[in-house]
Amino acid sequence: MRLDAEHIRQLKRLAAEAGGSQARLRLFGSRLDDHAVGGDVDLLLEVPEPVLDPAWLVASMAARASRILDGRKVDVVLAAPNIARLPIHEAAMRQGVVL
Amino acid sequence: MTVGADLRSRLRFLVRVVQRESKHLLATDSRVFTGPFTVECARRLDGDIELSERVEAFVARFSRLQDTIGDKLIPVLLHALGEPLGAVVDNLDRAERLGWLPSADEWLATRKLRNQMIHEYVEDPAILASALQAGHERVPMLIMASTTLLTEIEQRGWLADVAP
Repeated sequence: MRLDAEHIRQLKRLAAEAGGSQARLRLFGSRLDDHAVGGDVDLLLEVPEPVLDPAWLVASMAARASRILDGRKVDVVLAAPNIARLPIHEAAMRQGVVL
Repeated sequence: MTVGADLRSRLRFLVRVVQRESKHLLATDSRVFTGPFTVECARRLDGDIELSERVEAFVARFSRLQDTIGDKLIPVLLHALGEPLGAVVDNLDRAERLGWLPSADEWLATRKLRNQMIHEYVEDPAILASALQAGHERVPMLIMASTTLLTEIEQRGWLADVAP
């Protein structure tokens, strides 16, 4: 996994602020590959409760995570009970690593 | 501060663009958001050509205004003021400190929001509806930023044809 411990700590704190203390954050995609170089950061935020404003939550989380990661491009996928479960969610849960 | 003729001309051009883009965004915003943009509205987009064209115009105009302000007007104005230019995020932070934007973070999140407003691309109507409604709620922020920047430029006398 190509994220350092301090970045992981800050991302987990961000996930708790955005999705509550029960939220879980997974890293998936190319950043899991220790041999790759660079690349976007793909995060799955799993929230056990319905989310009132899901698009804004995803957008603000991605923007703030990008700041934490020194401007790297970050994409956030949200899993919540009121959001449709799509193939991207299945893939992220299957290959993703909980931070 | 003395600002060269080329820079003043560039600023005046961008001011005219931002004024037009603001006007067009407000016009489309009022045509799309006659009420809350619900999941039902999002589901209608595939079959309702008129609504989908209005929504597309809203997204395009929203994006163009934000890009003109953030990627063009703010850097040119910072340059005119003799401020150092940096990466996009640094320029936005400086714009926030100068009182031109309410929040650089909200500005960056609004950019990320735009990816979720594209109806051919977003497969969950709940996300699409949420993104468009959130976009509508950020229109006043864009208009306020453009008004603040235009006032700043005008007060410095940079809208006049010749240097004061």
